Amino acid sequence: MFFALTDEQQAFASTVTEFLAERFDLEAVRGVVEDTDGDGHPLTLWKGLADQGALAVLVPEEHDGLGLGLLDAQVVARALGAGVAPGPWLATVLAAEAVRIAGSAEQQSRWLPALAAGETVGTVALRGEGGAWDGSGITVDVNDGRLNGSASPVDYPAVAGLIVVAATDASGTPGLYLVEADASGLTVRDQHTYDGTARVGAIEFADTPAEALPGGDAAAVRALLARGAVLNAADLVGVAREALTRTVAYDRDRNQFGVPVGSFQALKHALADLHVAVTMAEHAVLFAAHALDTDDPGAAIAVAVAGSKASDAAWNATGAMIQFFGGIGFTWEHEAHFFYKRARRRAPLFGSAAEHREALATLTM
Amino acid sequence: MDLTYTAEEEQFRQELRTWLAENIPTEWTVPGYWATLSDEESFEKRREWEARKTAAGFSGIQWPVEYGGRGGTPAMKAIYDEETVRAHAPQTVNVLGLTFLAPTIMAIGTEEQKAEIIGPMLRNEVIWCQGFSEPGAGSDLAAVATRGVLDGDEYVVNGQKIWTTNAMHGDKIFTIVRTEAGSEKHKGLSMLLIDMDQPGVEARPLKQMSGASEFGEVFFTDARVPAKDCLGEIGQGWRTAMLLLSFERGASGVGQYTEFRRQYDEIVAEAKRFGRAEDPVARQELARCLVELECLRYHAMHILTQVEQGRDLGSESSMTKLQWSEAFQDLWEAFEHVLGPEATLSAPRPDVDLSPFHAQDHWSRSVTIWGGSSQVQRNIVAERVLGLPR
Repeated sequence: MFFALTDEQQAFASTVTEFLAERFDLEAVRGVVEDTDGDGHPLTLWKGLADQGALAVLVPEEHDGLGLGLLDAQVVARALGAGVAPGPWLATVLAAEAVRIAGSAEQQSRWLPALAAGETVGTVALRGEGGAWDGSGITVDVNDGRLNGSASPVDYPAVAGLIVVAATDASGTPGLYLVEADASGLTVRDQHTYDGTARVGAIEFADTPAEALPGGDAAAVRALLARGAVLNAADLVGVAREALTRTVAYDRDRNQFGVPVGSFQALKHALADLHVAVTMAEHAVLFAAHALDTDDPGAAIAVAVAGSKASDAAWNATGAMIQFFGGIGFTWEHEAHFFYKRARRRAPLFGSAAEHREALATLTM
Repeated sequence: MDLTYTAEEEQFRQELRTWLAENIPTEWTVPGYWATLSDEESFEKRREWEARKTAAGFSGIQWPVEYGGRGGTPAMKAIYDEETVRAHAPQTVNVLGLTFLAPTIMAIGTEEQKAEIIGPMLRNEVIWCQGFSEPGAGSDLAAVATRGVLDGDEYVVNGQKIWTTNAMHGDKIFTIVRTEAGSEKHKGLSMLLIDMDQPGVEARPLKQMSGASEFGEVFFTDARVPAKDCLGEIGQGWRTAMLLLSFERGASGVGQYTEFRRQYDEIVAEAKRFGRAEDPVARQELARCLVELECLRYHAMHILTQVEQGRDLGSESSMTKLQWSEAFQDLWEAFEHVLGPEATLSAPRPDVDLSPFHAQDHWSRSVTIWGGSSQVQRNIVAERVLGLPR
């Protein structure tokens, strides 16, 4: 029995965390948040991540990747969440996963090395406005290799060179398709999220030429969504842990009524409950990543548990961060809103906490 | 990550599973069976069961062979917990002695104590109670008022203990007693091992909200205990108690999960029977419970890993207690919510008996109090894990 990260995985996490602390700290994050017209994709950060292999984690070695598993990838996601780091990391990793899972040998050699090296930014368009995250919420149709319809919200569509699109054919069967950024009939509209650590848009397809991923069936769509759910949950866990750590550090020192506010039982109990919740969310993400890596028959349950627990933990920890920093936590100058807004934006992605619970009910009732 | 057990451990699982299949009476596997027995009947069956299990070599899994144990790994203990729950074996009646007292005696007991106490406890020939809580103390052990006065080579003990599990069946009790007159807080305490079968000891059952009496009160009136029956040094009872409580290792979570998950499935079956399984709010509530139970399972694997690597869990056991007790209580809250007006009826339909559910439901109110209340556990997590000021 070994339910923990290996020394190598911990070291990998440390290199990403240290890189962010040295080269892309909260001041740098603020620069991206406040540059509302910018593309939210600072190249110093992107190149640094590429250099560390953070983009290549899941790509097979034969395509210049590290050939590791989701358990390794989630340490990167967690570190990026803790640093509220901007950029299309998750979008690119998932685009590569789609090609790895469902692409032909030719598609894999063409795209995987470029995605692993950060030369091409990828993204995924897996759902339409208002749709569910279980593969049934697709609002793009495919007919004769041409796409029509829309997808929203999509991470970083403006800088993506490759878009993996989920579309349904005439018989209603979902599949995965590759669209290049310069394809005809492709319109990208910036949706301006209040989470300044991301850039999000809607994509319209009008008779847009697309290339099918041959293995891109309904199961592949679900597999991609499950992997997205786990990596998104890992980001949320990183956000939650960092928000809690910062709040605890502040409340340990902040004096009111002549004593540190952290000595008040009302705060202690709330922070203790959050610590337990965040710890359980960390466990859940680890277990789910491992379950997908090993094709565990209980993987669907594990993903639903991780998805809902991480969403709730991040939602609660970042709300508490604002409350327990007092008035300062509500100001623009303070960093609490970076964590709060990131948690709010990401919590419903790849299935909200409630959607994951409904999935869990279906699986166990 | 490697969530598998070794071949040796899996072989142990097979042996145990086979033995359990051959030795568990079918009637025990009927949900709610134990609730149909009187306290007396239940106790005698469990005592007999324990003796049989010990004779077959399936007790003291993690204990050294020299003490009659099996010399197994922490993982084998987790497997044991999981398989016995799965097979519907009853929990041992000597749980407090086996979990807390025995390892303490192995660590700091005298040779005489080791020889006399551990074997009979393992075979359930001597049932042990824990005498820590008092009416004026509860979770605050430093407020213990029961006193012991040396008279020749015996201590004379006067005072009262409360919330004593199995008080009516106990043969012996390990107690915290103030042996230094006028001492305060954690100073001047001693851990005495007192014979309950003597004139100065009276046990009275406490009837709980469920109607059962798992707890009791114990009154000491000039009870006598030989001075040699002090565990650890005299006056160092606080240190002995802290050592003893440190043996509450969270690795039992694997068995707990198995039991709670079965209860979740039983509640779901009732929800279906009463047409509540399609209600979206009920589904959310039940799924929320399952999320916490699954997290308990992952946490148990995390704890098992820590134990196997020889790490001191310290205050982490407070997190474990919070997670399992709150998750268990929430599960039974959900039972009430989901079933609605039928939930409180013992026989809502002629073929349905919900009384075993009610026993669990009412029991769930106690788990966030005993063993250090949830409020005490939250203080420990906040102060010792998060480092918040006192």
